[in-house]
Amino acid sequence: MGFILALKMAIASIISNKGRTFLTMLGVIIGVAAVIAATGFAMGSTASITSSIEGLGANTLTVTLYNKGTNRDLSYDEFIEFTEENAEYIEAVSPTVTGNATIKYETESYDNSQIIGTNAAYEIVKDSHVQEGRYILDLDLEFRQKIAVIGTAVVNNLFDSKEEALGAYIKIDGTPFKVVGILDEKEGGQEGSSDDVILIPLTTAQRMFSSAKINNFTILVPDSDLVNETVVILETFLTDFYGTDDSYRVFNQAMVLDTLSEVTNSLALILGGIAVISLLVGGIGIMNIMLVSVTERTREIGIRKAIGAKRSSIMTQFIIEAVVVTGLGGLTGVLIGVLSIQLIISRFVPPIIDTTWVFVSFGFSLVIGLVFGIFPALKAANLNPIEALRSE
Amino acid sequence: MAALVEMKNLKKTYKMGETYVKALDGIDLTIEKDEFVSIIGPSGSGKSTLMNMIGCLDALDEGTYHLEGIDVSELSGNKLAMIRSTKIGFIFQGFNLLSKLTALENVEMPLIYQNYSHKNRKKKAIEALEKVGLGDRLHHKPTELSGGQQQRVAIARALVADPPIILADEPTGNLDSKSGKEIMDMLVDLHKQGNTIILITHDTYIANTARRKIVLKDGKITEDVEVS
Repeated sequence: MGFILALKMAIASIISNKGRTFLTMLGVIIGVAAVIAATGFAMGSTASITSSIEGLGANTLTVTLYNKGTNRDLSYDEFIEFTEENAEYIEAVSPTVTGNATIKYETESYDNSQIIGTNAAYEIVKDSHVQEGRYILDLDLEFRQKIAVIGTAVVNNLFDSKEEALGAYIKIDGTPFKVVGILDEKEGGQEGSSDDVILIPLTTAQRMFSSAKINNFTILVPDSDLVNETVVILETFLTDFYGTDDSYRVFNQAMVLDTLSEVTNSLALILGGIAVISLLVGGIGIMNIMLVSVTERTREIGIRKAIGAKRSSIMTQFIIEAVVVTGLGGLTGVLIGVLSIQLIISRFVPPIIDTTWVFVSFGFSLVIGLVFGIFPALKAANLNPIEALRSE
Repeated sequence: MAALVEMKNLKKTYKMGETYVKALDGIDLTIEKDEFVSIIGPSGSGKSTLMNMIGCLDALDEGTYHLEGIDVSELSGNKLAMIRSTKIGFIFQGFNLLSKLTALENVEMPLIYQNYSHKNRKKKAIEALEKVGLGDRLHHKPTELSGGQQQRVAIARALVADPPIILADEPTGNLDSKSGKEIMDMLVDLHKQGNTIILITHDTYIANTARRKIVLKDGKITEDVEVS
């Protein structure tokens, strides 16, 4: 019996049992759709996290100082001196001292913003520029100027317009600061986002927060090939300085990306596992309904055998039927998965449809039909024609 | 030329629960080409078993069975399926049509298993249906046909592959007397056209329509006579 004919017979039988076939397919549909949607989501979020980490700059290193297990404090000047000695590895360095304070402008008051004391290099190291006015200058540090560069969230909360903000005096914990610049908007000017920030000169901040301690340095390495060597140089210097390697940590974007890709890989593995399980469950459903179908159609099988159907013809018929059911389920699942990526997941992360996963999950649905179709098909093929003809 | 059906000392025992039932107990039977034979016997006489044997649906325990000179007892399941599709045309009491298929598709079925091309299959099936007078009912489903018409579809299905034997098991058993007579007339006609027909029945009147009558009792042939 030809393949095409067996296919036609399978489709005819599926059509005559639409409702039941659909319910049987559900397991496979849900399994395949889940795989595609979940992998799409995982890949989309990985892509967006990767791009935002890369946005921080693959060439930047962060040194976090804990000041733990030591009584030495690394001062700004000491660190700048070190970086100048290693100019071929360190292009720029920006220290940060952070704190929170209440900000007032006339009668408006606001206290969400993060106040960062830093230097002029912050601009290139963090790739954070002003849209209006000017940046913090090294001169401002020298004279402990009371000037501030503010993010758009601060502008939105305290002022009616950027024009009003520029040149205005805001009070940070009662001390008046002149607004000299407004930063580029990065995250839509939302409160609590990276736009909700006030930059002031490092030295001013150290005095205001009555602490000379620098929380961290961000370092720009001239070439990404030098990142690993720079890490070694930094660690040697800091361990020497503190006499311990507990009191600091050098943080490397490449390391973050490595960790992220490990997370992504294990996520993919978990998803794969879930997919296999759900498709197996779907396959058991298929096997179940195919067994029911064989029982229901015992007489048909008897007639076909009496009329000259070989075992292989009956087997082919039932296996193809199972594969058509799971294949249709797989196709529907692919469709639903792709649609859910385009319509729902795309609202949260960039939509990525990986054709490998589409083919793998569809192929797997066919394999499931084949594997779980074999047992019912064998049962059908091995029916005794006389007994099968006698059944009602 | 070997006889169409040649059985020698054929035996078949079934296990029914704890007891063994000798369904066929030493059958010697020869049927030549172009005969019209009826096999008659009360229920439990073994006539259904004999039909299953002749139709290659069941394996024998002892003895020999040659169909057109081929030793059937030696054949595998697939070869038997091939024999069934090419040598035997079955007509059943309960018609045994597939209810989801049209008359034409039902008649085409034996040809599908013989790998006929789509075109030839259709042509032969239409011819067979026209032969039984259902040329205008090709696309009707069995449920849309009367009992007599359904049995005619079954006859067309039995004829379509031109098998040397037509094996009819109580072909009128589920029909009213008028349709039953039509079917019997059709079988008589088919015999006149040169088909070999073996008819299994418990009805003496029907049995006497045939040219040769074989009476079966307790798995043995008790009578084998020409019908005048």
